[in-house]
Amino acid sequence: MRIAAFAAAAVIVAAPLATARAENLTIAVSTPEVQISSEFTGTGVTIFGVIGTGHGLPAPGSAYGIAALVLGPPQDAVVRRKDNVLGVWINDASETFVRAPAFYALDSSVQRDALAKPATLERLGLGFDNIAFTYANRAAVNDPAAAEFRAAYIRLKQKAGLFSQQTAVDFIGDNIFRTTTWLPANTPVGRYTVLVYLFSNQALIAHAEDSITVSKAGVEQAIPTFAHSQALIYGLICAALAMSIGWLGGVIFRRD
Amino acid sequence: MLLYLPIAELSVNMFIIFGMGGAVGFISGLFGVGGGFLLTPLLIFSGIPPVVAVATVTTQIVASSSSAALSYWRRQLIDMKLAGVLMISGVVGSALGVEVFNVLRRLGQLDLIVSLSYVTFLGLVGGLMLAESVRAIINARRGRPALLRRPGQHTWVHGLPFKMRFKRSRLYVSVIPIGVLGAGIGFLGALLGIGGGFIMVPALIYLLRVPTNMVVGTSLVQILGTMAVATVLHAVGSQSVDVILGILLMVGGVIGAQFGARIGQNMRGDQLRALLALLVLAVAVRFLAGLVTVPTDPYSLAAVGGG
Repeated sequence: MRIAAFAAAAVIVAAPLATARAENLTIAVSTPEVQISSEFTGTGVTIFGVIGTGHGLPAPGSAYGIAALVLGPPQDAVVRRKDNVLGVWINDASETFVRAPAFYALDSSVQRDALAKPATLERLGLGFDNIAFTYANRAAVNDPAAAEFRAAYIRLKQKAGLFSQQTAVDFIGDNIFRTTTWLPANTPVGRYTVLVYLFSNQALIAHAEDSITVSKAGVEQAIPTFAHSQALIYGLICAALAMSIGWLGGVIFRRD
Repeated sequence: MLLYLPIAELSVNMFIIFGMGGAVGFISGLFGVGGGFLLTPLLIFSGIPPVVAVATVTTQIVASSSSAALSYWRRQLIDMKLAGVLMISGVVGSALGVEVFNVLRRLGQLDLIVSLSYVTFLGLVGGLMLAESVRAIINARRGRPALLRRPGQHTWVHGLPFKMRFKRSRLYVSVIPIGVLGAGIGFLGALLGIGGGFIMVPALIYLLRVPTNMVVGTSLVQILGTMAVATVLHAVGSQSVDVILGILLMVGGVIGAQFGARIGQNMRGDQLRALLALLVLAVAVRFLAGLVTVPTDPYSLAAVGGG
């Protein structure tokens, strides 16, 4: 049902782009709901895709290319740079990013320059260079200072395992492929968008969209929710808990 | 075993954190200090966000000080009136500390101020303690009696107005220095995630001439009260008290403290103080190194609005 619904959606969306072609794209996500529990150490989410041609074979003369993008929830973030002031390294310059992707994983079947024309890649935001960032204090995207902080943002996110780009889409049949995205232990919670683009001979011929919801499970969800909504009571409980543990320790290990 | 910390939003090795709490508890039992000045930096150096580290260590200080205060309470070595005055001023100080903490966090300068304060206070206190204990050790070696001034002797502090009588400590002093001391330590405690016992104890002995047998118990009650309030204020102000992290630290700390206290009973006071001074100085040097060496990565990334 679900797959059929997405296929229908994909066909409708893809229709104007693929007037001359018969292909449509259907995707399915292995784990649409990811739960972060206390022992969560990261998880792989596999996206399967089927290129529909009506007869199960690639259309004559086609050379398919796939780009699968998993975009994390947008978040406001600030990148700070330390500078040496009077011998001490302090946070000096900073840049605030508005609704920047908290997670970005791109997987393609071939190198990006073989996939599509640069203008197309830029329009679709495929590749680190093509992510459209919005800056809180800067309008000009070509500003060298913005470029510096943008590069730092991407590098820090890569270091945290939250930004990646690779060419590992795996064709398991002529028209069937899969790609796996690793959501690490520190993956942000929220709604992730899955975007899969089908190219043939450098032209976009179909695309499909799905989503992954990452949420904290059980206690891991309850504690922060409670800490935010009932901050005073949470604080009182923490203080009381601390005193009881201390008191208990003092009673158990009584020395005098 | 990895455990996900719901407020810090990262996974940590449960046994490492538990061990850290235990090791710091051991040291705090050994030297009779709270250990916050060691635990907060340890957590920060091991990747816990400074905001969460400072706020959560306040709960650990509440646990360890209530555990220790209990034994002083049994032996009636607490001046509740003095502790009460210190605590009231301490709460005012810690409210101010939490406020400054949140402002600095928004400005992105919290780490800097925390580091600078650690270098300044630990360097100063560690240096003074080391000098004092080395003198005491040398004197003991040469067979000279320790040059401790007796309680009851007066300093400039005793000339201040608004005097108040503290029967248990056999003191009649102005509330001004007591209030300043309590507020100052409450402020530092909330800002830096330390109990402040290592400042409070010498200040009570040398500045106010509180009898030595009353000092530790009284200081513990003041720390307990001030840090309990700081826990609540942090929970309300920055929502960064991680209860899971706190429990790990508390249980480890309470157990570790028992072993430390047993070993500490068999060591000489001046040697203990010299060791503690070296430890305090080592933490100060570590923070200083972090401030002046070229950072491996000058850039840092933080979510706006605390997630």
